[in-house]
Amino acid sequence: MLKNYLKIAWRSLRKRPLYACINILGLFAGIAFVLLIGAYVWQEYHVNRSLKNADNQYILTSKWTDQNMGPDFVSLGPPAAILKETYPHLVANYYRWDGIRSVVVKENTKLREGIQIGDPSLLDQFGFELLQGDASTVFNEPFSLVITEEKAIKYFGKVQVVGETVAIENFSGALQDFKITGVLADLNENSISYINDAYNGFFIAKNSSQFFDRADFDNWELPIFLSYVELQPSVTPKDLEQPLRNILNDHASEGTRNNLTIVPVKLTDYYLNKNSGLVKRMLYTLGFIGLFIIGMAIINFINIAVSFSSDRMREIGIRKVLGGKKKQLVFQFLAESIILVSIATFLAVGAYPFLGGLFEQVIGKEIIPLSAFPGYFIAIPFFIALTIGLVAGVYPAFILSALQPIQSLKGKLQISSKTIFVRKLLVGFQFTLALVVLIAAFLITKQIDFFFEKDLGYQKEYLVSAATPRDWTEDGVKKMITIRNEFETLPEVSNASLSYEIPNGNNGFQLQLYRSDASSESKVVSQGMMIDENYLDTYQIPLLAGAVFEKGVPNADAVLINEQAVKSLGFESPEMAIGKQLKNVNQEEPLTVVGVIGNIHFESLHTPIKPQVYVDVKAALYYRYFTFKLRPGNMQGQLAMIKSKWQELMPNAPFKFDFFDETLATLYTNELQLRKASYSASVLAFIIVLLGVFGLVSLSIQKRIKEIGVRKVLGASKRNISQLFVKEFAVVMVFAIVFAIPLSYYIITLWLQNYVYKITIGFSAFFWGILIVAGTSLMLIFIQTLKASNNKVIDNLKTE
Amino acid sequence: MLLQLNNIFKWVKTGGQQTFLLKDINFNVEEGEFISIMGPSGSGKTTLLNVIGMLDGFNEGEYNFMDESVHDLKEKHRADLYKRYIGFVFQSYHLLDELTVQENLEMPLLYKKLKGSERKAMVADMLDRFNIVGKKDLFPTQLSGGQQQLVGIARALISNPKLILADEPTGNLNSSQGEEIMGIFKELNEEGVTIIQVTHSEKNAEYGTRTINLLDGRMV
Repeated sequence: MLKNYLKIAWRSLRKRPLYACINILGLFAGIAFVLLIGAYVWQEYHVNRSLKNADNQYILTSKWTDQNMGPDFVSLGPPAAILKETYPHLVANYYRWDGIRSVVVKENTKLREGIQIGDPSLLDQFGFELLQGDASTVFNEPFSLVITEEKAIKYFGKVQVVGETVAIENFSGALQDFKITGVLADLNENSISYINDAYNGFFIAKNSSQFFDRADFDNWELPIFLSYVELQPSVTPKDLEQPLRNILNDHASEGTRNNLTIVPVKLTDYYLNKNSGLVKRMLYTLGFIGLFIIGMAIINFINIAVSFSSDRMREIGIRKVLGGKKKQLVFQFLAESIILVSIATFLAVGAYPFLGGLFEQVIGKEIIPLSAFPGYFIAIPFFIALTIGLVAGVYPAFILSALQPIQSLKGKLQISSKTIFVRKLLVGFQFTLALVVLIAAFLITKQIDFFFEKDLGYQKEYLVSAATPRDWTEDGVKKMITIRNEFETLPEVSNASLSYEIPNGNNGFQLQLYRSDASSESKVVSQGMMIDENYLDTYQIPLLAGAVFEKGVPNADAVLINEQAVKSLGFESPEMAIGKQLKNVNQEEPLTVVGVIGNIHFESLHTPIKPQVYVDVKAALYYRYFTFKLRPGNMQGQLAMIKSKWQELMPNAPFKFDFFDETLATLYTNELQLRKASYSASVLAFIIVLLGVFGLVSLSIQKRIKEIGVRKVLGASKRNISQLFVKEFAVVMVFAIVFAIPLSYYIITLWLQNYVYKITIGFSAFFWGILIVAGTSLMLIFIQTLKASNNKVIDNLKTE
Repeated sequence: MLLQLNNIFKWVKTGGQQTFLLKDINFNVEEGEFISIMGPSGSGKTTLLNVIGMLDGFNEGEYNFMDESVHDLKEKHRADLYKRYIGFVFQSYHLLDELTVQENLEMPLLYKKLKGSERKAMVADMLDRFNIVGKKDLFPTQLSGGQQQLVGIARALISNPKLILADEPTGNLNSSQGEEIMGIFKELNEEGVTIIQVTHSEKNAEYGTRTINLLDGRMV
């Protein structure tokens, strides 16, 4: 019997290829999307779960009373170690690291890499798998190095590299050979070696940290370390609260003690919740979109199935007259829908590798291949096919099998106006969704364009930045200044500047400043920057008062401040600030304001412009970037000239440059992703809406086929007939538009609240969104009805 | 002469075989005639009527309607032609259930793009002529079969056609209603409207001036 059902179901699908195709297409889109989202969600939930004792691993995060005092994902070095020492019954292990970027040299390969200098407990605590080497001894000797499989292949072309050496440069420009003692199997995404999208492939223990003059884990004033603890079984983070408080009270300075709380966060939660839950929000958003899309596909399936049912009236009538029971008919229809959904599901699984590539672009992350899922996941497609097949098939099955035999023999479609209303409601709902996502996509695009077009306070055109090699000594800075001057002599370069910061949101230090004539209570937290005297000319930042740093003579006490700092410190005008003295909390020597410069957007437009203090790079001795202002003209040629000059002046340093648009793009990665995601969702929603409209119009045409005939006989033109249907749907569309406008306005307003600087929501996004959705749908309806009214009149009337 | 059919053939292909629906049909219709087409079921009566009404095409032969060669005309012109000169009356009335009597009558005028005031006048005239003024706001389902057919005829007449094509206009009616309808056709014919009806009934055929008998698609 089952075989019989399947056979008949298969044949009746083949008899109606259009119907089958529309349904399979809609379901395919929905299921493929849901599979990808499912895979992504699964993958994101597994970040940090494959760590050893994942449930006991915690990261120590910092909660400062003022967010400007420091980022939350790094903390002080000592507490983790003291915890383990003093409370061994609470803490089983700890690992801390300090991230640096430096040049790794292997013969002719010279690349800037992320390097992690940390405690030797790395492998033991997290259970990372070593392909080569002995986990217990890898970090025993100074200048030992553990690298990942990927890096081994990149530098050596093979995995068996234990015993080989590579050289690493320190910040004074010296090279040191490191012996490779271990090769790690490629790591799944985790919050130990990946943090904030920076990914490290080189691991060094702190017994080599002297060479870099970094990783001072015992310093109580340096909250820059990633630090993790493994708790003893059944210890909760609450148990650590008091010990951590005590440790800070016993050791930290007053400023730190009063402003810092160390909060242990479980690593398995940390990833999903970091950046105020960005990942989790993304997962929820995608999950909802997935549900909506599959829901819309199911709605379509139902709409289309019911609308094509008049095709099958006679078949149903005959089956019933010949003794078919209602139950048997229900089974037949369910078998059909399960077959359809199965085809769609297996197509979707088959398309996973191809669509995965597209999806990766949207989410900006690799998505795991099918083969990486556990074996029992093979049941999932079957489960999907069966569930969706039943959910989608059950309503049409009961509607169709409930038809009265005599009426269905006559071919008269009995669909109540209530059913029609429900289906119009569903299509209206789909319209609304499609409109909302499209309008949102337009407005997101507008905001993103705004990021790149807004006056940022500096001129980003023809600006190129490149990371310098590092030698953070007086001689090193002098050498760099000489090199900078060399670059300025090039005809291609109009200005060159050496600085620690470029306007990409990452600055070196914070100051808490107050006027010497005021109390330290009035302190203003400001961003500290290290720049040279050419910075303003290169970036074309206006100097509002005073002067820039002097050439040649470093003056550690002279600072420039921005307009915002003038305001925050309470000076009446930029001129009034010149020559005034400022004091930094915890610092004896006062600073003197020598100049005031215009505000620039140093960070993304999420945040307001903060008070900024600029010190002379010649005195600070820290620098990272050259910025070149090119002359208008042939970019490629100019860059080639700069490159050859670079290689001549700094033969050991790789020349890797970024245009400023690229630098800005890194500030807005999430927004750019969101734009891609919203456009993808719009396209999907739109396709499904069109399928839905198609189904509903087919039904409507079938219901009114006689009417079309009569009207034509009485002289209606094709256009008259089309208008009849267009009018019917125009009503649905108007309702959808009425709901979509405030809804999308509300959603985008919420989203825009993330930004201090934002667009005004204009009229045009709504106009175009509505025009596209409504226009295309009306066009579809028009074409479809045109086809129907093209039929010979007599065929329409014959259906009686 | 109103229309002329010369050697009209119409066939369909079923499984590679030609089945003839109409075979070598020849006849002329003068203005003012009242013709009945008769024949058993499946003899091609309705098909012939549809061909005359230009609702259906044919495969071979010539059809001239008021000096226009219908077989050479494009679809659009053909539609213009029948819109202007032909009115249809159906066995099952084909009134639109969602529209009132008045609105049903008005529909053909809408498609002729007449002005609202003109349309009102013509509809009122027609309602008066068929004595159905009192029913103008009723829906077709609220009327008896005879009354519905009356509305159907009124609708066919409203645009002043030269030719009325009626496909078994009394087929769904009882005998007294049928007689009434046939009486109306008779009157119309006397007023100068040309009528072609398809009928099973000898009695109805007697109202006509001429009878064409069909058997298996052929005139006999």
